Amino acid sequence: MAEFTLTSAPPLAGVDETFDGIHLRAPKDLAIVAVALPLGGEDAALAAIAKGYGADLPAPGKSTTAQEDGATLLRLAPDQAFILFHRAEPDAETIVAGRIGDTAYLTDQTDTWVALELSGPRARTALERICPLDIHPDAFAVGDAARTVMEHLGTIILRTGQDSFLLLSASSSAGSFLHAVETSIKNVS
Amino acid sequence: MTQPNRIGGGLIDRAKPLTFRFNNKEMAGFEGDTLASALLANGQRLVGRSFKYHRPRGVFTAGSEEPNALVHLRTGAHTEPNTRATMAELFDGLTATSQNHRGSLEHDMMAVTDFLSPFLSAGFYYKTFMWPKAFWEKVYEPAIRASAGLGRLSMQEDPDQYDKGFLHCDLLVIGSGPAGLSAALAAARAGARVILADEDFVAGGRLNSETLELGGMAGHDWAAQALAELASMGHVRIMTRTTVYGAYDHGIYGALERCTDHLADSAGKPRQILWRIYSKRAVLAAGSTERPIAFGNNDRPGVMLAGAVRTYVNRFGVAPGKEVAVFTNNDDGWRTAADLTAKGVHIRAVIDSRDRAAPITLPDVRHIRGASVVNTVGRKGLKSITLTDGQVLPVDCLAVSGGWNPNVHLTCHQRGKPEWRDDIKAFVPGGTMPAGMVVAGAANGAMTLAAALAEGRAQAEAQISDLGFTPAKADPVEAEDEPQDTAAFWYVPESRHRAWLDQQNDVTVKDVKLSHQEGFRAVEHLKRYTTLGMATDQGKTANIPALAIMSEITGRTIPETGTTIFRPPFTPVPMGALAGRARGKDFRPYRLTPSHKWAEEHGASFVTVGNWLRAEWYVQGDEKGWRDSVDREAKTAREKVGICDVTTLGKIDIKGKDAGAFLDKVYANTFSTLKIGKVRYGLMLREDGICYDDGTTARLSENHYVMTTTTANAVLVFRRMEFARQCLWPNMDVHLISTTDGWAQFAVAGPKSRDLLRKVVDKDVDLSNEAFPFMSCAEITVCGGTPARLFRISFSGELAYEIAVPARYGNSMMAVLNEAGAEFGAVPYGTEALSVMRIEKGHAVGNELNGQTTAHNIGLGKMVSQKKECIGNVLSQRPEMIRDDAIRMMGFRPVDRSQKLITGSHFINKGEEAVMENDQGWMTSVAYSPNLGHSIGLGFIKSGHERKGEIVRAVSPVHGTEMEVEIVSAHFIDPEGERLRG
Repeated sequence: MAEFTLTSAPPLAGVDETFDGIHLRAPKDLAIVAVALPLGGEDAALAAIAKGYGADLPAPGKSTTAQEDGATLLRLAPDQAFILFHRAEPDAETIVAGRIGDTAYLTDQTDTWVALELSGPRARTALERICPLDIHPDAFAVGDAARTVMEHLGTIILRTGQDSFLLLSASSSAGSFLHAVETSIKNVS
Repeated sequence: MTQPNRIGGGLIDRAKPLTFRFNNKEMAGFEGDTLASALLANGQRLVGRSFKYHRPRGVFTAGSEEPNALVHLRTGAHTEPNTRATMAELFDGLTATSQNHRGSLEHDMMAVTDFLSPFLSAGFYYKTFMWPKAFWEKVYEPAIRASAGLGRLSMQEDPDQYDKGFLHCDLLVIGSGPAGLSAALAAARAGARVILADEDFVAGGRLNSETLELGGMAGHDWAAQALAELASMGHVRIMTRTTVYGAYDHGIYGALERCTDHLADSAGKPRQILWRIYSKRAVLAAGSTERPIAFGNNDRPGVMLAGAVRTYVNRFGVAPGKEVAVFTNNDDGWRTAADLTAKGVHIRAVIDSRDRAAPITLPDVRHIRGASVVNTVGRKGLKSITLTDGQVLPVDCLAVSGGWNPNVHLTCHQRGKPEWRDDIKAFVPGGTMPAGMVVAGAANGAMTLAAALAEGRAQAEAQISDLGFTPAKADPVEAEDEPQDTAAFWYVPESRHRAWLDQQNDVTVKDVKLSHQEGFRAVEHLKRYTTLGMATDQGKTANIPALAIMSEITGRTIPETGTTIFRPPFTPVPMGALAGRARGKDFRPYRLTPSHKWAEEHGASFVTVGNWLRAEWYVQGDEKGWRDSVDREAKTAREKVGICDVTTLGKIDIKGKDAGAFLDKVYANTFSTLKIGKVRYGLMLREDGICYDDGTTARLSENHYVMTTTTANAVLVFRRMEFARQCLWPNMDVHLISTTDGWAQFAVAGPKSRDLLRKVVDKDVDLSNEAFPFMSCAEITVCGGTPARLFRISFSGELAYEIAVPARYGNSMMAVLNEAGAEFGAVPYGTEALSVMRIEKGHAVGNELNGQTTAHNIGLGKMVSQKKECIGNVLSQRPEMIRDDAIRMMGFRPVDRSQKLITGSHFINKGEEAVMENDQGWMTSVAYSPNLGHSIGLGFIKSGHERKGEIVRAVSPVHGTEMEVEIVSAHFIDPEGERLRG
């Protein structure tokens, strides 16, 4: 037994608030692994992802729910994707490597980001205050994802359902990010 | 509380009486009133004092163009100056006070300026208060400001909240009058996403003010019906109380929504929202603004625009006077006479400047043809008017109409030039429109109701068809084309008294003539010389008559004279709305280090570094000032061990088969040869050979490097490398991703650092100097299996490591390191001690890598490899940049060790005058070295490498200081680097 032990304290752990028509929470133990497709090795990597996760990696700006690990495959760019899944231990990269081997370059991004999930019929109304993108269902369907900036903070927004959105932003500015989202909700509720 | 001027009808809710106070006098009104309509209902004609001459003024218009009726709305910190009474919605308990008078509104002591007016013409201040020069700022300007002006700020912090937001639509319809409603209906029925915005609190525009029928019903009923249909459609957003104030690039519009201005209390919600509307297309249906005719004393309370008089009668059920005369140069003015007659308000006469038959038959109304008003009487309220033929008519209200100007403003926000249409005697939109914008209705010169309805629909249908929608079939709405003839008649030349053009800025016809006489003849010059068209109303009622007069004087046509440029905002936007949430500590986001909480609990003082908050030092015990803490931290780190959170340094994960080759291109030195498990210092150049950034890069495996950048340049370096990867060398297999926030990284520095870390790393990690020498790196585990990265690198110059764990463990790791280090006397240290130690070691940072210095200057010229192609290496070899006598980074110490060096001091050779020609270089960084016991500095000096031991003067004219300093090695401590290798 080591003399010292480390305690995990993700910045937004435990955020779970309900407002009129909006539920705001920080998903617990959301692991994020970045997948870079090697130049010239894209086909092999895509095949490995399809085999390992039982789902094709979607086009950039789209996401899909995989059969394995309850994972979300989120394509951010032609050669870049995130795999999001539930994992408490700090070994998310190993888990993904176990599914796709060394066909792609992996980087653990779990601690780089914080996530907030906004759901409920008024979620979109709250996001109008900080999200510059058009997230009307006609323009931003379920599964669509985009990079944008909210209150000066780089953010990835993903529509996870008709009335639910997952927002990812930098973990160092988690407090400001939460404040921005909470203020938006309070201003419309 | 009677309302003597309240008459029947209107769109007010008489079941909802409201009380309000004006200048402490309680008055009554109804829901649906504006402050202006309620004041008029209560017989309050005198509302304010004018800007310059303190002339008594009343309500002049019924809309956002109001020049006169500006008030302080609300009280205390909530006070808003210059609120247009015509736009302020009445609410129960509203408090308003009049502006710009000393003493009471009725007895303004500053009204003396009006009698001095012969001396106070345009340009008076500039000509008069010129000498002595120093008096302008201290004496003249404060005195003038005290006497002239509009409202006053509360001088307290704005207690209201504001927000911003983003909206998107296929079609933005600006204005909800007949053209706007018609456009919105056409687009919405076809399925397009529509935003309909209107500055009024009731949509409908002039339909609410006129008695014209359409579709067989009253105009306001048709408007209400159209709005109900639009509101029932999920893809339409109706935004009343929302002014679209600016047209920006690519179909983006700025809009201000007044959310709670009509309520007594905002209840913690944003008072106003500044929206950015992204539209694919836009229909501008902003209507038109009536213009006055200039004649003697045409500014008295009771003189109003004819259309506004109609609005008060029809919409608000208020008669602005009991004896009303109409003075018009056009057919539309006659409608005021007709509507007032219908409501039982007595029309004394219609004075038509045109000598022709009445366009509307009004049997009981006296028609005076081909005549004009030359003067008025009634200082605080109109009593009578005098006509050109000398006859005097006793009236308490004069409705003036000089024709209507299309509201072209937004069409000009990207430099569109309005074009003159002689048939309507007005400018219409012309030139290049903002992308995606079309104009419909009166704003486009379609001045009649039927034309506006038809054009609104046609324009919207054309736009949405372009976007792929199919217009729905619907019968046209029946409406008439009312008579609209207008004469080009701008002012009454027979008037001998002052005739006001711009009532907000007190500019008269005479001032325009003076401007011409003094050579300010272009409209833009006219504006600057006279202030015509400035301030809150931006001359909405004044500009066209003024430039018409200027064109008459110069003998040019009106289109030759042209308009001044219209710029955003269309109406004033409060500063608070522009700031939005960005106030106080919410001005910008903060980035916190993983150990922030621990640092807070352990006496840290924080400094902002970019968006980061970093611990600058930790106060312990009875330390009195920052130097006590910093000296202790820097000394302890050198003698024992110190721990510093260095997470803020940028971290970039670089992966790919070509990662090494890619680094060779972005760094000046070579990385492809770096062995796995090793770290190297790297220097990046700009394309022009100037130093860009530095840091260390570790090779963790064959295809995996981890780069660190400086805190300040983390994002810039990442962006630049992403550009290089995607655009310069797209054929390289290399992938970048930032992990700055992902790893909590700590410097553990000092002779006891190895002992400390041995207690934290897991047993299989061999930290001996042989197994893990200087510049090693490894992926390890700590504290029983937690993944970590260990680097043996040293910014302090001591035996030192940097250890990184996933950020979620960062706060805990800081606690563990300090706990484990307690037996060795470990201390946490902040950015100040970090800086002291780097100066002691002669490491360059932003002060030295300032965007003007080269590797040659900082003594790293040999690092720039010429054996490969990399960014900046070619241009770094330009002869001027590698001169042997170029400035070199050196260390400096005061000859008198008790003296304190000053950053920014310039070096001057002994015996030479301290002038630029003799400049030898400058001091970039200084610190008190607790380890040496005196002040030390780094700086650049010409040929410094050959001048060790020389004494020069460090001169700071800014501080008025001068001292002798010795040029020494930049490495003050352990110049051979034995400690860091030990």
